Amino acid sequence: MAKPDKNSSTHSLHQKTDFWHLGVKNNVILNIVLAAILLEAISATQFYFTRNLLADELERRAETELVMKAIIVKNTLKISENSLWGHLWDMERNMEEPDSLYDVMEWVLRSHHNITGCGVAFLPGYFPQKGRLFEPYAFWDNGKIRKEQVASDKHDYTQKTFYKRVMAEDTSIWIDPYYDNITDRIIVTYAMPIHDNKNNVVAVFGIDVSTDILKDTLNYRHLYPSSYNILLTQSGELISAPDSKRVKYSNVEHVVNIINDSTSTKTMSKNGRCKIATFYDPDDNEKGYVYYATFKEKPDWQIAVVCYDKEVFGKLRKMHLILLLSMLAGIIVLGFIVSHFVKNSLKLKEANKAKERIDHELSIAKNIQMEMLPKTYPPYPERSDIDIYGSLVPAREVGGDLFDYFLRDEKLFFCIGDVSGKGVPAALLMAVIHTLFRSASAHENNPARILQSINETSCQGNESHMFVTLFLGVLDLPTGHLRYCNAGHDAPIIMGPTVTPLPVKANLPIGLFDDFNYEMQQTVLMPNSTMFLYTDGLTEAKNSQRKQFGLQRVQELLTRCTQEKKMPREIIETTIQEVHAFVMGAEPSDDLTLLAIHYMPQHFESILSETLTLKNDVRETAKLSSFMKSITEKLELDKSLARQLRLAVEEAVVNVIDYAYPVGIEGDVTIKVMSDNRCLKVIIVDSGVAFDPTAKEKTDITLSAEERQIGGLGILLVRELMDTINYERTDGQNILTLMKLLSNKKQ
Amino acid sequence: MNTKIEESESKYIVTLEGELDTAAAVEVEEQLKDLYNSNGKDVIIDCDKLEYIASSGLRILFRILKGAKACGSKVIMRNMNEDIKNVFKMTGFINIFEFE
Repeated sequence: MAKPDKNSSTHSLHQKTDFWHLGVKNNVILNIVLAAILLEAISATQFYFTRNLLADELERRAETELVMKAIIVKNTLKISENSLWGHLWDMERNMEEPDSLYDVMEWVLRSHHNITGCGVAFLPGYFPQKGRLFEPYAFWDNGKIRKEQVASDKHDYTQKTFYKRVMAEDTSIWIDPYYDNITDRIIVTYAMPIHDNKNNVVAVFGIDVSTDILKDTLNYRHLYPSSYNILLTQSGELISAPDSKRVKYSNVEHVVNIINDSTSTKTMSKNGRCKIATFYDPDDNEKGYVYYATFKEKPDWQIAVVCYDKEVFGKLRKMHLILLLSMLAGIIVLGFIVSHFVKNSLKLKEANKAKERIDHELSIAKNIQMEMLPKTYPPYPERSDIDIYGSLVPAREVGGDLFDYFLRDEKLFFCIGDVSGKGVPAALLMAVIHTLFRSASAHENNPARILQSINETSCQGNESHMFVTLFLGVLDLPTGHLRYCNAGHDAPIIMGPTVTPLPVKANLPIGLFDDFNYEMQQTVLMPNSTMFLYTDGLTEAKNSQRKQFGLQRVQELLTRCTQEKKMPREIIETTIQEVHAFVMGAEPSDDLTLLAIHYMPQHFESILSETLTLKNDVRETAKLSSFMKSITEKLELDKSLARQLRLAVEEAVVNVIDYAYPVGIEGDVTIKVMSDNRCLKVIIVDSGVAFDPTAKEKTDITLSAEERQIGGLGILLVRELMDTINYERTDGQNILTLMKLLSNKKQ
Repeated sequence: MNTKIEESESKYIVTLEGELDTAAAVEVEEQLKDLYNSNGKDVIIDCDKLEYIASSGLRILFRILKGAKACGSKVIMRNMNEDIKNVFKMTGFINIFEFE
């Protein structure tokens, strides 16, 4: 039930992570959008205020322009006015000779090129000889001055505005422009009264000025390249406009209409000097502004200046657009940077999480690895013949070193190894080797054959070409007979009367060649000696000066330990302490693995020793009955125990007879029974072929009658009835040793 | 070692007396091997006077059992002493034989 729960919680954790991830991303995007909106708002506000400032500035400039242009126009007009005034005296002097007036007029025309025509309109009938209407008039006509009397019934000046107004008002005035059919052009007329000596108005003296001259005057300079000025009468008639080449007449007309349209919206300038109207050109819908004002003095004409929006605010708008775009680009770039940063930090966070998970898994792996190693000390508290202590300090979370040992049939199987490389791959191989050691040693006592088996299996599919150095030993506890085989590992050190490395053949590490022949070596371990096994993490432990601990130091250290009669645990702890003191906190580069085995066989003080020799024939076993009975009686054992011992010995002997000698070969089986009154020891010796009954797989007694085979009963009974069983092959003899504690002894 | 076989209509009653060790097993097997095929009859083995049994003796009993099982009959052990029962326990025979 726990598993699915675990899965679902992991799943929800992932979901949470995704959600969180999404949340942060959304937050970043939201923040960027908000920043963009804020910046755009600032920019828009700035644009608004700048535009207003610019509009105010334009207003002031337009006002100045209007005033200036009005002055210029007035000055232009003044020149014409003055010319008239200048000749008024001449006129009045020549009043009595009407024909001489032409000379004065010609002179006026010649001296003032602005003036296109000049004339005098007399009161009807003033010169009787000239008829009722008399208006002498001189004017430019194709570069020549024409002089003629222009009044007729058709051309009755008394009906004309200039005459009527001057006569009525008795003052000089500018007459609004009108079409002059004599000169065929639009003209404006300045007219003044001429008085006789009785100060009566007798005539109207006037000059015509072509609006063309105002056109040049008005537009000799502009606020903006495409802006222009126009001049209007008070009633809104156009007096002067720029050349149609420069401004389309339809546009001018539209502006004039806007000014004259009382319904269109107009605002006053801030200074109140002019009116402002907005318009759109009829053709291209171009937005424009017209500023206009009325002359303060006579003539009360209106002057207007037209500006186009694109020229006034175009640059500002362009600037604003550039600013807007560059800010937007900036925000986008910033957004990218921020999101990249956030992404990276998220990645980092995830990587950290992954690392945490891996660390957690590694710590679990470390625990598993440590669980594989023997960890209960002393491992065999009931035994006094061996004491063992081992330690593995991994350089990383998981290590590639291993050591292991176990007891089977009075034999101590032990090994120490070092997998090439470190970390997880090494740890995995270490676990494999550990398992192989256990399984290969289950029914095999020969360390070379055990190594061979481990090697063959390790070589299969070893694509990563990892290898393991391994030292494997089998110590026969009753005899101290040590069989060992080395696969490229450091030689163990024997701490006995002397402290010397065990002579070992290097052979080859495990995992390289599956057909390599490992060679077994053997020796006898002296009582009270200790075997010290290590991995190169000990000799190659480095201090901060890169100096190695070295074998020399190890031997010195072990010699000291031997002198001080230290036991395995103390030896290992002392060694670790010395290594730590040596490296002084330097990072360990390799696993440090140590194993010490102290051997102290018990002295067997025999109080009884009986021997029986049988031929290898089952019928001979009949002799066993009385042999065993006499012994158990001597030892005063109870009947039940006596039967057990008899059965065990009988089964062991029968086993030897059945298997040690090939059919037809005769041989002896010697049974030696000894006792120290505490335990009974049976040694069965034969000279047959090597046969190890302890290597037999144990019969499964849980099977049903149908499944069970008949074999294996004998050795099963021996194992069940005796406390220990031990097999040794020495000097061409099979030696089977059985032991039984005599706790059931009769008191 | 004495071995006695009584045959009735439906069963054999075998009485084992003394020590059935390896040496005795040769002779006992000779006497009992007819029972390796009990022809559907149950086999009762009385161990009241059996003092000792080795694995060779166990093998004879096992073969009788195999034969009986093959033709659907039973092998029943009777009056077994503790030491021998112990041997039956150690070998797991206690699980495959029937006891009275």
